[in-house]
Amino acid sequence: MISDKLKQVILKELELKEFNLQDETIASQVPGWDSLNHINIILAIEKGFSIKFKGLEILKAKNIGDLQKLIDSKVPA
Amino acid sequence: MPQAIDFGKLFSLFTYDKYDPLLFGSSLFFFFFLFVLLVQRLFSNQKALRIYSLLFFSLFFYYKAAGIYLLLLVFSSAFNFYFGKLIYESKTALLKKIFFATALVVNLGLLGYFKYTNFFLQILTDLKLGTIEPLKIFLPIGISFFTFKALSYVIEIYLEMFEPVKSFRDFSLFIFFFPNVLMGPIDRASAFLPQIEEDNPITKEDVGRALFLISCGLIKKYAIADYIALNFDERVFGFPLRFTGVENLLAIYGRALQGYCDFSGYTDMALGVGLLLGFKLMDNFNRPFKARSVGDYWRRWHLSLSTWLLDYLFKPLQISFRSMRKWGTALAIFFTFFAVGLWHGPNWTFISFGILHSIYLIFGMFTQSIRKKFTDSIKITGTKFHKFLQVVFTFHLLAFTAILFGSPSLQYSLDMIHQIFTFFHPEVFPQFVQAYTTVFVLIVFGYLVHFLPKSVEEKAQNLVIKMPVFFQAVLFAAVIWVVVQFKSAAMMPFIYFQF
Repeated sequence: MISDKLKQVILKELELKEFNLQDETIASQVPGWDSLNHINIILAIEKGFSIKFKGLEILKAKNIGDLQKLIDSKVPA
Repeated sequence: MPQAIDFGKLFSLFTYDKYDPLLFGSSLFFFFFLFVLLVQRLFSNQKALRIYSLLFFSLFFYYKAAGIYLLLLVFSSAFNFYFGKLIYESKTALLKKIFFATALVVNLGLLGYFKYTNFFLQILTDLKLGTIEPLKIFLPIGISFFTFKALSYVIEIYLEMFEPVKSFRDFSLFIFFFPNVLMGPIDRASAFLPQIEEDNPITKEDVGRALFLISCGLIKKYAIADYIALNFDERVFGFPLRFTGVENLLAIYGRALQGYCDFSGYTDMALGVGLLLGFKLMDNFNRPFKARSVGDYWRRWHLSLSTWLLDYLFKPLQISFRSMRKWGTALAIFFTFFAVGLWHGPNWTFISFGILHSIYLIFGMFTQSIRKKFTDSIKITGTKFHKFLQVVFTFHLLAFTAILFGSPSLQYSLDMIHQIFTFFHPEVFPQFVQAYTTVFVLIVFGYLVHFLPKSVEEKAQNLVIKMPVFFQAVLFAAVIWVVVQFKSAAMMPFIYFQF
């Protein structure tokens, strides 16, 4: 499940009002999420959740579900 | 009296000749491929034999192009197969890193040695750091393509996107596969290898599509690209100062089309040949001149290379430079396109080509919002007129890089630009059309077809797929007839062979 907070961070960065983000959603399916913008979204997530990703961790994430799992592993419950 | 068979000549058909590889479109390839299909058909119920015979034919095909350097291809396959395993089975992260780094160093080291040694020696000489005679190094054809293909396998395993294959036989087929070994597409292991597992039967639709692709490829390569190159472009690019600016400009338009038809023609044939053997290869082109920005162009041109570099070079760089925000992305773009230039060959024209593309993209990124504000203020954003302007402007930026791509050296590029800006003489245009009517018609025809909506191509393809076999055969014969009419006595090698 994609958390509301992650959804808001992504939508805000892409200046989107609404988009249905699912675990399986991949970047290219989301309007505006291109290779140049990708890094801005990653930076926005790092800032929004006060976490720091490792390069390899981001490269391994295949979809938004993977990104959510990665955040969950770093944010203390 | 019947003539005796010249066994020496017959034997030479099966041996390596540097000047005579098995080019797609040559009559020898045609008979070779018919034989391959026959054998595949014979073994249609025996998968193992089918794969072994394909391995054998692929090795023979590569041997015809590179001789003894066939061993390099075999080494690449064995090395990357075992290193894929080692990376996957590593118990610690450090060990995994060490194996991965070794795989990168060996693959890139071999590519660097064969392709760039003399270039670097020349740089050392130019910088007066010593005079070193160039070494006699043979460039194994296709090395940039199969090295990148093999690298995609170890990288995907390292990134845990793909599990290593168990069968060395299957992995070797991925590396050796003759339709894409010399000039791509640079297929991904994760897309190709499962197809061997699945072993899907070849359908009537596949055959129709293959026929359509091979026909398009033959026409693009032999009727358009080679004809324009031999009869007009090479003359102008060889001696730009002998021609007026308007002829130089037309040669550049011709060169852009020729480059596209040559490479995408080859790819069409590779895709068609692959389909007839039961494999769907990655498509490489999506009407590149319809691009509305240079970024858009790289999502339409040589896709198997651009997505490779995007995934395995640009993204890692962009992530490591992320603290610099936009400047970090700019740096990642620069390094990636420097690599694009260098990948094409050890020549400053190619490197300048790559750097110029990076400048376009970086400039585009920094001016995006200003440009949008401007088009908003004159109320054209998103209109058809705006799109038209974007396509025309992008095309000319690309045509400008075609000068660098097609010139023997930077001086020639400068001469062409000089002629266009100081010796244009538009009044020569009617004489050009008169003297080079076929070339002119082919350039106009080529661009017209390129800009047709995609649905027209799909309809034409479906028509061929649904045709009765007899009409398909007639159509194919007609294509061959047309190609023979255009084909010159000496076949031109594909431009991308040198890479």
